Amino acid sequence: MAYIEFNDVVKRFGDNTVLDHINFGIQQGDLVTLLGPSGCGKSTLLRCLSGLESVTEGQIVLDGRDVTNVPASKRNIGMVFQQYSLFPNMTVEQNVAFGLKMKKVDPATIEKKVTEAIAMVELTGKEKAYPANLSGGQQQRAALARSIVTEPAVLLLDEPLSAIDAKLRKALQSRIREIHQELGLTTIFVTHDQDEAMVMSDVIQLFHSGRIEQAGSPVEVYTHPVSEFAASFIGSYNQLTGAQFSALSGTAVPAGHVVAVRPETIGIDRVRPAASDDGFVVAGTVTDSTPRGNVLRYTVRVGQTNILVDVLFRSFHMFDPGETVYLTLLKHDCLVIPENARSAA
Amino acid sequence: MSSKTKAVEAAAPGKKTPLAAKIFLGIVGLYLLVPFLTTLVYSLFVEWTDVLPSGFTLRNYAELFTNSTFWLSIGRTLILCLVSVAITIVLLLLAMYVVVAVNRKLGRFMQFVCMIPYALQGVILSIGIISLYTGTGTILSNRMFMLFGAYTILVLPYIYQGIRNALNAIDANMLIQAAEMLGCGRFRAYVQVVLPNIVSGILVSSLLAESIVFGDFVLANNIAGTNYQNIQVFLQANMARSSGLSSAIVVVIFLVVAAVTAIVLKLQRSSQNR
Repeated sequence: MAYIEFNDVVKRFGDNTVLDHINFGIQQGDLVTLLGPSGCGKSTLLRCLSGLESVTEGQIVLDGRDVTNVPASKRNIGMVFQQYSLFPNMTVEQNVAFGLKMKKVDPATIEKKVTEAIAMVELTGKEKAYPANLSGGQQQRAALARSIVTEPAVLLLDEPLSAIDAKLRKALQSRIREIHQELGLTTIFVTHDQDEAMVMSDVIQLFHSGRIEQAGSPVEVYTHPVSEFAASFIGSYNQLTGAQFSALSGTAVPAGHVVAVRPETIGIDRVRPAASDDGFVVAGTVTDSTPRGNVLRYTVRVGQTNILVDVLFRSFHMFDPGETVYLTLLKHDCLVIPENARSAA
Repeated sequence: MSSKTKAVEAAAPGKKTPLAAKIFLGIVGLYLLVPFLTTLVYSLFVEWTDVLPSGFTLRNYAELFTNSTFWLSIGRTLILCLVSVAITIVLLLLAMYVVVAVNRKLGRFMQFVCMIPYALQGVILSIGIISLYTGTGTILSNRMFMLFGAYTILVLPYIYQGIRNALNAIDANMLIQAAEMLGCGRFRAYVQVVLPNIVSGILVSSLLAESIVFGDFVLANNIAGTNYQNIQVFLQANMARSSGLSSAIVVVIFLVVAAVTAIVLKLQRSSQNR
């Protein structure tokens, strides 16, 4: 039995169904990411779990207790919001202590726990500062301290890093992951950023149009997307129609399916490699190259099809636009997936 | 991450007001002070028939300050201001709690209701109140309570706008939700978290409302007249007697309003500093 269970959860706003029969469980201590594009229902599900939003149908069970109709203030769930939502009239210390005061914890314990929580998010020295005097990153860390100090049953993070610049975001991703490991707190993280989901999660629940498209570990979801949507959202998969793939490989593809190939699994050479039973080689022309950090992405025109190829950015191994190259695609890297599949979570 | 994190988290630099802006504000301020200064000069001299006034005197002020009716009218006006504004603030804060924390859809209805007094002429409002409550034998048929009610309606739109803007500025609903997640009930969150953050907005709008009540003549004259004389009715009653005395009354009204304003602004500043 899972620690958190969503049983057939439906949420409608008027005629608009935002959550469409959601069924899945979360194990205690896991860091689960709800990933998906804007408007897919991931934040709504988080708010339903928090109690800030009611469900239209279905049931939410937390640690064996049906909390579907329990008020937010009674669920013992911590939440960090995208907009920080620190109380402007209170100092960092007072903000962090607020939840403990609500629980009527004795003052000595409050002081001890607040000091520990502030140290955990590395805000020591900022105890007396008001939110207006903190940067975005500091505010978000204060909000995190405020949420974990009450030792909630679950910690919810609703796109907490989306308003923070890229460099600081990476640092905070690591810190959140570290805190999760230190405290062993069941954590649900909502994001639309697939890279963030990869870095943070034990399990990814990929959302699409109010339903779960795919669930699994980051490696599973990345390497074995179950649908066209999953392949396009999780990675920069090359998605070839049956006709395109047949033209390249000479292999037929079942109707209603596409072939997805990750750019980094494709070999690229100036000299045609020896033929192999494991894969096939096609010739093409480089039309573009784009540096993407430590990876160089080539666009190679093969017949009427553009294929993306990622290689490590090494200056001695570069191809120029217009150059003829040979691409090696291994059969086990060519995933045949349904056009509109949905997995049972 | 600490050193890296701290390195990227820089505070925003402060801004200075440009000199041109200060000069422009100074000129506008002086221009706005002209009516007050001329009234003040007029009240301090016996005659002003030439370029410069002549015959400096404090007689008008001596006469005014020794008149008990004047002090009573000032006191009544202050009571009217405080009671009416306080009633409006309490009613609106309760109503806005419902809008912010219970049903946000009621916001439009609240806005419509609170805007109605803008369209009401003082004469219509006062006649309506008199015809509705006079002779009913209830506490509301008392002229003073009628005035409290009338001013509560009069200042409703101004205080509503101030409170609504203050609530929007802090995203009150989000703060209540954040407090709820920490185990706090909604109403307690509204009182403990939201209200302290909108004190400035409430003070500013109550300041505006106070000056409106202080400057009202129509409602006070129509509803209470000399039964419950406020400062504007007192001024009107003395205008025919002496223009110098009238000017002195206007100056005192201005100074009282300025003093109340200064106190409110000081309170606002101290709450912001906290």
